[in-house]
Amino acid sequence: MATTHGAARLDLLDPFEVSQLGGLEVVTEGLVEGFLAGLHRSPRRGFSVEFAEHRMYQPGDELRYIDWKLLGRKDRLYVKQFEEETNLRAMVVLDSSGSMDWSGAPESRLSKFDYARRLAAALALVLVRQRDATGLVVFDDAVRAVLPPKASRAHWLRVVATLAMAAPGHLTAAAPALQGVVEKLRRRGLVVFISDLLLDQAPALHALKFLRHRGHAVLVLHLLDPAELELDGPAEVRYEDPESAAAVVLRPRDWAEVYSRTVNEVVSGWRHALRREGIRYHPIRTDLPFGRALREALVRPGGVA
Amino acid sequence: MIGFLHPAWLWALPAVGLPLVLHLVARRQPPTVPFPAVRYLQQVTRDHQRRLKLQHWLLLLVRTLLVLALVLAAAGPTVARDGLAGHAPASLVLILDNSPSSGAVTGGTPALERLRRAAREVLDKATAEDAIWLLTADGVARRAPIERLRATVDSLVPTEIRLDLGGALAVARDILVNEARPAEIVVLSDLQATALSPADVALPVVVGVPDLVPPANLGVAALDPGPQPWSPGANRVRVQLLGDSGRSSPMALLIGNRASRPQLGTVGAVVEARLDAPTPGWWPVTAEVDADEFRADDRRSTLVRVVPVARAQWDPADHYLDAAAVTLRAGGRLVDGTEVTLGWLGPGASVVPPPADLAAVGSLNRALERRGVPWRFGGPVAQPQRTDSGPLLGPTAVTRRFRLVNTGGAPRGVEATVGGDPWIVRSGNVVLVGSRFDPAWSALPTSAGFVPLVDALANRLVRGEQALLTGAPGGPILMPDAVDQVQGASRAWSVEGGAAWRAPASGVYYLRSGADTVGGLAVNLDPRESDLTPATRGEVRALWPGARVVPLADIRAAAFAAGARGHLRGPLLVLALLLGLTEVALASLRRKSA
Repeated sequence: MATTHGAARLDLLDPFEVSQLGGLEVVTEGLVEGFLAGLHRSPRRGFSVEFAEHRMYQPGDELRYIDWKLLGRKDRLYVKQFEEETNLRAMVVLDSSGSMDWSGAPESRLSKFDYARRLAAALALVLVRQRDATGLVVFDDAVRAVLPPKASRAHWLRVVATLAMAAPGHLTAAAPALQGVVEKLRRRGLVVFISDLLLDQAPALHALKFLRHRGHAVLVLHLLDPAELELDGPAEVRYEDPESAAAVVLRPRDWAEVYSRTVNEVVSGWRHALRREGIRYHPIRTDLPFGRALREALVRPGGVA
Repeated sequence: MIGFLHPAWLWALPAVGLPLVLHLVARRQPPTVPFPAVRYLQQVTRDHQRRLKLQHWLLLLVRTLLVLALVLAAAGPTVARDGLAGHAPASLVLILDNSPSSGAVTGGTPALERLRRAAREVLDKATAEDAIWLLTADGVARRAPIERLRATVDSLVPTEIRLDLGGALAVARDILVNEARPAEIVVLSDLQATALSPADVALPVVVGVPDLVPPANLGVAALDPGPQPWSPGANRVRVQLLGDSGRSSPMALLIGNRASRPQLGTVGAVVEARLDAPTPGWWPVTAEVDADEFRADDRRSTLVRVVPVARAQWDPADHYLDAAAVTLRAGGRLVDGTEVTLGWLGPGASVVPPPADLAAVGSLNRALERRGVPWRFGGPVAQPQRTDSGPLLGPTAVTRRFRLVNTGGAPRGVEATVGGDPWIVRSGNVVLVGSRFDPAWSALPTSAGFVPLVDALANRLVRGEQALLTGAPGGPILMPDAVDQVQGASRAWSVEGGAAWRAPASGVYYLRSGADTVGGLAVNLDPRESDLTPATRGEVRALWPGARVVPLADIRAAAFAAGARGHLRGPLLVLALLLGLTEVALASLRRKSA
């Protein structure tokens, strides 16, 4: 396995190559280490400020944590370390419908579902390392697995095991799954919704807005296979939806331009609709290295998550 | 009503279905690809699908119409200009068939009278702006003002010249092919089936069909006087009757003004009749049947040349020749004299077999050379063979012979052959025979044909046959080289030997070379005119594709149809061009729309 500090950082490698390196747990830890190291500062920012100990200053540490009094006494730079508390409760909601079980290039690219569960595992690990309680909901046309939010490493391992065992289903029913999250997150928390959003927009949007109104921070990660962004292929193709079996016959060459425009419009539509409700939205291509996907999902101008 | 100049192209109409077939073939099931974002594709196509489908069917329609327009344009459609009085200025060739058969009388009226009436109706419909040609049986197309053409039609009588209607159509086509105005050919004919020949003129042709059944006919189709010249006494002629009457008829035979005993002729049969030749000279011979409704073929004439019997000498030691000559002399076919020498090369006309003394062959050949005869006796051939069948004699066994060798270019005057080699040849007044008149040389002396052969050799071959030509009125007749004048009953024509001459009418003519009469010419009606059976409409349409066949009574309405009909080829080609441009635009628009 590649080291997090070595020349090859897993979080920046091609997701398919990363997936070949080992099991979900090991690989996820590797890529999260890389991701955290790449932030150049400690991502661990608790919500309490109880002092724990001093340590030597390291480049990258925030200046506000330098103990200026100790500098006066010992003429050395020390930073204050605080005992972190778990007060953020997060739920990762993962779409495992049939449309997620698809890759435009199975030999060289992860399916949306495989990408999503690795991303979900990494997200959970980042949050657990922050001592945030992290739960998991896996759904297709029904809720298939639920893990309540907890902050321990053992719980993260259960999350990983659940993700590893999850299998893609058939149809999609996002709204009940999202509404069920409300029961699991009694306090305000973070909901990360990972899906290809090939679902009925109105009920899903309604459920997301409901979560937002309940005070939860909501993050939507819209997974897109590159092959879904552009049409390409032989003279005439019958495209069939693996979920609904709906089919369309057309010449990709004739429709490529207007299709790309439509996909962009769909992405814009989601972005505007979600941002209007204060929901963060990120379209993520499945060939995007996990580190960059995590950065897009977690790093905000003011810090992580 | 729509008509077509090239209706054969209509067979290509099924090609109209080609775009639809290609469309169906192109609609075969394409490969299926799993694709989760089908909802995006549905969203994409939803807005365009109806317009695309419309464009698609429009494209199919345009392509179908394009093929239809091209096929119809190729077929050359014409359409009646309803509601228009008169007709547009047109060019029209009026073929008026005044060939001999047009003289056949039905219901008391000659066929030509009906045709003339129809021609007048066509001319009555013509205007001064029309260009009209009148083409009659003489093959000459005359363009003239309508009044003069009307006068010509009124004065037209049945001619003896046969008209080939297919050839007449070709002449008309050549006249009209460069005409800018709507062109048309009107055929007014009794449509004698034998006068029709194939023609594809690519112009509108209107054919007036006679409305009456032609009369039953019987005529003299052939009169053959046999080999010339005749000798005084009994000679034979062969007469053949033709027609569709299917009956027998009394037949009169005349030589000069002397009638022979009446004969009975039957249609289709050849009758051989005996005629007693009068004094030496050229004599017309005529065969005539009773008059019927078609008079032109009731009489046929020819010429015969009568010469006195040969005054001959022969060697009595030549037993078989002597026996034949004595027999002929007893029958009055020979008299003693020196005009003709039988058995050796004499000073005048001679029948020369190989000499009994073979050593004399060389001196005989030298003598032949001195006489200007281009034939020589060559090497002996001792091989049993048979003579080839010919008009002079039938198959006869030949055991010995001398090869006859020609020294003067192309061999001429070969009268009989053995295995393809000349056996009896003639040059001027010398006849060479390859074998002696001896059973050791051939079976001829002991055969029944020997005496008639000696008769033919002595009285006819060795004295030089006379040229007797035959021909039809208006048809080309090749004159022999020596002939410089043709003498008819009332006038003479200067001619060029080796060139063709056309006799103006039927009858007998004498071929002259200076003051000498060197041959005769018998000009008679083409025997095909005797069969008056008309062609059916189907036969007309088969031979002249696209021709419009109408009853003679409707010819006025049908004439000038080209001027009264619009040609749709031009508009159809313009339409095809527009459809082609529309197709390109639609196909391009469809790609952009998608």
